Amino acid sequence: MANADYALYVEGITKTYANGLVANNNVTFGVLKGEVHAVLGENGAGKTTLMKILSGCLAPDCGTICVNGEKVNITDPMKAIKLGIGMVHQHFSLIPTFTVTENVALSMFLPGRLRLEDVKNKILEVSKNLGLKIDPDARIEQLPVGLQQRVEIIRLLCQDVNILILDEPTSVLTPLEVEELFRIIKGLKEKGKSVILITHKVKEALAISDRITIMRQGKVVRTLSASKTNERDLASCVVEGFVPSRNGARTAPGEALLIVKGLSVKGDSGRIAVKGLDLILKSGEILGVAGVAGNGQKELVEAITGLRRSESGTILMKSCDLTNRPPQFIIRSGVSYIPEDKMKRGVILNLSISDNLALKSIEDAPFSRRMVIDQRKVEDRVQNLISQFGIKTSDSRACVSSLSGGNIQKLVVARELSNGANMVIAEQPTAGLDVKASEAIHKRLLDLKSRGVAVMLLSADLDEIVKLSDRIVVMFDGKIMGEFMRGDLDMQRLAKMMLGSD
Amino acid sequence: MERNLRSMLPRGTLRSIYKAIISILLALVVTSGLFIISGVNPFVAYFYMFYGSLGNTNFLIETLVRTSPILLVSLGLGIAFKCKVWNIGAEGQLYIGAFLGAETAISLGNTPLALPAAVVMGILGGMAWAAIPALMKTRLGINEVITTFLMNFVAIDLVTWLISYPFQSPTAAFPQSANVPAAAILPVLVPGTRLHLGIIIALVIVFPLVYFLVQKTTLGYKLRVVGENPEAARYGGINVKRTILLALMLSGGLAGLAGLFEVLGIQFSVMSSLSPGYGYTGIVVALLGQTNPIGITLASFLLAAIYNGSVSLSIQLGLPTGIVYFVEGVLVIFVLGSEYIMRFLERKGVFKR
Repeated sequence: MANADYALYVEGITKTYANGLVANNNVTFGVLKGEVHAVLGENGAGKTTLMKILSGCLAPDCGTICVNGEKVNITDPMKAIKLGIGMVHQHFSLIPTFTVTENVALSMFLPGRLRLEDVKNKILEVSKNLGLKIDPDARIEQLPVGLQQRVEIIRLLCQDVNILILDEPTSVLTPLEVEELFRIIKGLKEKGKSVILITHKVKEALAISDRITIMRQGKVVRTLSASKTNERDLASCVVEGFVPSRNGARTAPGEALLIVKGLSVKGDSGRIAVKGLDLILKSGEILGVAGVAGNGQKELVEAITGLRRSESGTILMKSCDLTNRPPQFIIRSGVSYIPEDKMKRGVILNLSISDNLALKSIEDAPFSRRMVIDQRKVEDRVQNLISQFGIKTSDSRACVSSLSGGNIQKLVVARELSNGANMVIAEQPTAGLDVKASEAIHKRLLDLKSRGVAVMLLSADLDEIVKLSDRIVVMFDGKIMGEFMRGDLDMQRLAKMMLGSD
Repeated sequence: MERNLRSMLPRGTLRSIYKAIISILLALVVTSGLFIISGVNPFVAYFYMFYGSLGNTNFLIETLVRTSPILLVSLGLGIAFKCKVWNIGAEGQLYIGAFLGAETAISLGNTPLALPAAVVMGILGGMAWAAIPALMKTRLGINEVITTFLMNFVAIDLVTWLISYPFQSPTAAFPQSANVPAAAILPVLVPGTRLHLGIIIALVIVFPLVYFLVQKTTLGYKLRVVGENPEAARYGGINVKRTILLALMLSGGLAGLAGLFEVLGIQFSVMSSLSPGYGYTGIVVALLGQTNPIGITLASFLLAAIYNGSVSLSIQLGLPTGIVYFVEGVLVIFVLGSEYIMRFLERKGVFKR
């Protein structure tokens, strides 16, 4: 097939980050006109890096990009839009207090006087064309996430984009919204637009796309037609030698360590997010909590760690009541917590690596006595952790902000997995890490487990949960929908439960 | 030379020094403009400023006299600013501390206990006054910038009322408290000058204590963490509210001590003209010193010199004394902007990154 038949064709794209991580290695793939093309791969496979290159957010080290057969140089996101390539990022870039029209107008680079009426008409025209209902005068903060995503898509269409890149579009959606999104994608395809769908969910890629490109460790493994493959083959292709039984030595789970009873917790919006939840976590087991993001997992974890008040119910650790106790009490009770948002919660970017590794233990002997810090003891431990967890830095006094995302991740994990806790809550512990680093963290979690630590694992990556967990509970709408033991895992039923049926 | 400095100093320190120097130079350049508008040769003006502050032993000693209250206030504000708690209320905390401490000494009379008791009450008074906005912030979420600032006026007017009516000296014609007992007066260090023990206490006791607190204790660590990322602090098991409360109260306590030393060392009774704005000068100093105790000590001396220099300048050249507030204001603007100026210079390759 000639390059001209492709709406977009990239060849030999390579991107190496400053810390030496090769995110894209000689990537070649093409997207046809009017095609839904899934880019499938694990976290850290290089999908997002590739898409950021295509949308002008990152510059590749080498390689060529052709749009409609013509070689182009995408210098910045504006240039990408002019070439007809637009991206909906995982985290939306809308201004919550603005209306839909105002948000769309914002990105249209209109010269001179702003005619909101024209923008509004354009929105109505585009949405009518595709059968997408949207109120142009609604304020973004009043819209549910699914509609916000729709606004992002409409915004791109108002800019006459022909190739839409959607980055993990379903991770924040409810099952109903996912269906709706798929309907929209089909509509776009009928209008001759090309859609690139970035996902790590095999099932999703199969359900909606025409062709699938699989990436692993920064390389394209292969591109195949969705109608000529199946879930099993795809899964084993995504994760080389995917066998969900690397849990290591099975240890008999110990006694119940954490007992959550009838827990109700309010979310940020004031809505009840956790609804009378019961949960038991045993010593020496890894409990996977599966679920679509936004079903109360975050609130559950924050209630256990003391960062959010619970409305009713109890949280017991053995016989010790942790309900609504301050975080410092819960840390002292031996609960470690790797938070999902490492940049915001896990580290202090403007302080040194030492200071960051000392958080949570600075008040304990031997690191300080009567409020006086023993810098030598602190530094000894810091050096130990840096080498043990392979944090790449030349100086422990350097600011954390000088580290790469992956190394910041390692720093948080190092701090949380080395303080002798008897319970670890790990939220997305390997998000954004390359395969080797992920594997190291998995090993450490399994090692902790075998030493009798209770581990609660929350991950958007179902494969990770399946690979590590002894027991999996499924959370939906603030409740536990069901539970699977390691031996009798039924992926079909689990997926159904995640969507609230069954 | 720069290489040597780089390896000797902790990371980022050299950069902080550059930032401070750039701010000062730019402030002086802008002030030169003011001199030119006023028809004064800036070089002549700066000569008088320099001469009036450091020109001879007497002037130098007067500058040290001025350094003492500024240093105490700004060391305290440095603690609060480290925690990103913007205490604009040192002026009021200074008045309350001075009043409470002085009245304690007066009521105890000429006894050996008068001085230590006054010091304790002076510090506690400043702390208590700072505790009000601190509690409003931690309990009710009210922004401390507004409350601390507005409480300055409440404090000054309250103290003025107290020394005008219930605590007015029976022998004074103006609003003024009784004189403090001789036992509470801080001894003069150099006979024939006003240089009193306060500067020694500030330099030899308070400065090392604050330095130690900020750099070597867990409280100093907590101040840094809360200041840089309160969300991570809470996650890390730090009591954010208590840390903020402590930061504000410690800064209030040192402001109170500064006010008390002005009474016990210079004025000997509480008057409504106690401070020419040391509480505000302290803000400039703490920012210029970038909340580092050593930087603050140097900046205190500099601002004291600018203050005295401006006074001498206005006498010599007939300019308004307001010049000093102009310099302070311009300095604040450049200190706050210095990070961006520095980044601009680094981009242009003037400084190495």
